[in-house]
Amino acid sequence: MGKTILTAKHITKLFPGMKALDDVDFDLQEGEVHILVGENGAGKSTLSKCILGAYQAEEGEIIYQGEPVKFSGTKDALARGIAAVYQENSLVPYLNAAQNIFLNREYRTAAGLLDSKRMEKEAKDLLVSLNCDYINIKKPVKMLSTAEQQMVEIAKALSFKPKIIVFDEPTSSLSDREVESLFEQIHRMKAEGIGIIYVSHRMQEFPLIGDRITVLRDGRKIRTVGINDCTNEELVNMMVGRDVSQVYVRSENPYKEEALRVDNLYDRSGRVQGVSMVVHKGEIVGLAGLVGAGRTETAETIFGIRPMASGEIYVYGKKVQPKNPKQAAKIGIGLVSEDRKTQGLALRQSIAENIEAVSWEKDFPGFFVSGRKVEERALKYKDNLRIMTTSVRKACQYLSGGNQQKVVLGKWLNYDPDILIFDEPTRGIDVGAKMEIYALMDKLATEGKAIIMISSELPEIIGMTDCMYVMHEGRISGKLDRSEYSQERIGQLMMIGQEGE
Amino acid sequence: MMSENKVLNALKKMPPVVFMLIALIILFSVLNPNYFAVNNFRNVFIQCAPLMVLGFAQTLVVLTGGTNLSMNAVVNIVTVLAVFMALKGVPLVLAMVIAVVAAVGIGIFTGVLIAKGHMPAFIATYGVQNVFNALALTITGGASIYYNSDLYHKVYSSSLLFIPAPVCVVIVMFIFTWILLNKSKLGMQIRALGGNREALKLAGVNVVRSEITVYAVAGFLGGIAGLLTLCRVESGQPIVANGWEFQSVAAAILGGSSFKEGKGGVTGTIFGVLLIQIAQNGLNVIGVQAIYQSVLVGSIVLAAIIIDAVVRMRRRD
Repeated sequence: MGKTILTAKHITKLFPGMKALDDVDFDLQEGEVHILVGENGAGKSTLSKCILGAYQAEEGEIIYQGEPVKFSGTKDALARGIAAVYQENSLVPYLNAAQNIFLNREYRTAAGLLDSKRMEKEAKDLLVSLNCDYINIKKPVKMLSTAEQQMVEIAKALSFKPKIIVFDEPTSSLSDREVESLFEQIHRMKAEGIGIIYVSHRMQEFPLIGDRITVLRDGRKIRTVGINDCTNEELVNMMVGRDVSQVYVRSENPYKEEALRVDNLYDRSGRVQGVSMVVHKGEIVGLAGLVGAGRTETAETIFGIRPMASGEIYVYGKKVQPKNPKQAAKIGIGLVSEDRKTQGLALRQSIAENIEAVSWEKDFPGFFVSGRKVEERALKYKDNLRIMTTSVRKACQYLSGGNQQKVVLGKWLNYDPDILIFDEPTRGIDVGAKMEIYALMDKLATEGKAIIMISSELPEIIGMTDCMYVMHEGRISGKLDRSEYSQERIGQLMMIGQEGE
Repeated sequence: MMSENKVLNALKKMPPVVFMLIALIILFSVLNPNYFAVNNFRNVFIQCAPLMVLGFAQTLVVLTGGTNLSMNAVVNIVTVLAVFMALKGVPLVLAMVIAVVAAVGIGIFTGVLIAKGHMPAFIATYGVQNVFNALALTITGGASIYYNSDLYHKVYSSSLLFIPAPVCVVIVMFIFTWILLNKSKLGMQIRALGGNREALKLAGVNVVRSEITVYAVAGFLGGIAGLLTLCRVESGQPIVANGWEFQSVAAAILGGSSFKEGKGGVTGTIFGVLLIQIAQNGLNVIGVQAIYQSVLVGSIVLAAIIIDAVVRMRRRD
């Protein structure tokens, strides 16, 4: 381990009405990956933003390369060698990779025009050094895959020749293979002596790249530990501040009735090819597979978003053919979609309006609606689901990921469908909220709902489901009962579409 | 084989408006055999010169995610202001220069309202349109004003290498905006303003200043369009350009520019403007009465926008 490159001492950051950071110490060494964990709102992002110069702390000091610094903004920090790769894409869609990398630092020719050749060459060099020379440098980045875009972002960060890079949830939208190549790059940066601050929820990733972990909770630092000095369970306990030995809960299923049967389902674009599955009342059925295996597409076809080409769907023995989500909801199917920000929620609308979103017609059959009733209902779900907010009139965009997801759940609970499809219900939310959502899914199943759970996280899908279908390239490659679960069998079905010898 | 594929690919990349334009021309030439006379096309290009330049201006604004509904007022006020000053004894050429400077001023004012005042572009520019249209009417007392000079005619009827002067101006403005958009820092910022404003802020760009600059440039182009119009109508006309503000937006959208992603450019806009102009001109040539013309032009533009949207959706699949 190298020498200390950055030390933050006694950082306190105030937001109106709350202490976002309270006397937090943090340090980073050359060539180290220092992971920041904590529940949403624990202060991870705030701390990294203080280091990046986006926020100025009220108290405390930051010592960078041996001297105290006060950055006036991100540009200032960037110029001194502190760069960031953000969770939300910070690329301009219709500029190419080179133009994005050199945004506002464009090289110019003697005539004052952009020196595209030079920028493209340097961008190419950067991408080559990242082993990504397959990325087309002349295409608008919009046309690149998510992973390629992420690599462009990393190239952009590296072009500042930084001493420190902050990664904020970099893997949340990447597939496993893409995550692997990202980690390769992080190891390379480490070897070059770059200090890396890594903000993430994904605990299974930590041992692969981390050196030390700092746990934050409610704006305070709980502890900094070496990566091998602490088990996952201890980490979770530190994050949520209570004992969580029982993460997954799955009760006995008292029902036997068949709730949903899908027979030989095809969609029109060829992403779903002959999917058949059965879900019983009170059952949680997993739908596993790699990203792009057709899980979401299957859900969308059942829910009427994607046009069905052939196949049959039965709900409680009755043949149905939902042509759009509205019909699907009427039939009694609900979909908690993967992308809550664009599909699950109207971000600018209030919590109450979002919770009522699918139920307007059901709750108010007449002409008039009652804002008071909507609010009362929302308050009920706020309490039941423990949505952390000062008011249900608040717009959803101001909520943390976990709370937003709870609003999406509240929306469907309010509508009360018999069959619920959860597509990546815990993506990007913190461990405390995850556990609440697991408990809720279990409760819903016990109450007699039939549930399909799509997830890329094997531990959770293994922990939560009664049986699972594994998908591979649009087809069901296998069905496993809970007694047959093993990471290995599931993995083989996911990767190669069949079980090995 | 390879080259065939290349041709196909190039065809696929073209905005759908190009094909609609060709279809429209074929339709008119069937309806009137004289339609294809060279003179007619020459006329189309000359007639649409001011709208072309406005279209380029509008494209820049659309790419930032805005619309500039004050473009017609800029043209109106430029014609009025130049003639008004000339009548007060200012040499016509100088009056023209001052009018263009005023147009830039209006652009800056509009930009400040939007970028600093955080007003939606649609509302802010609509307000500016009303203010300056009213001002133009006040200056002229509601009528047209005239200042005699043969300068107008000289400009409008001369030509360079057989290219009519107004078309030359369009070409110069096209090159100017194309370079601005693709080869300058401001161009990168324009696409980022519409595509991902946050990224631009993170890169340390003063987004307020770059947005104001875009409206200033649009004002300048509006000024040039105003001078072209002045030389064509040879008078100060307070309502001459009304309607162009929306036509230029339609042209930019038809040309493939998008409000949302910073996608598109001025090349497509040329075809958008031509579509509108050829629709108008063609209806004239085949002898449709004036009162029906605007209905038909409107319908053609609407149909084009729908076809365009459908084709683009299909392509994405």
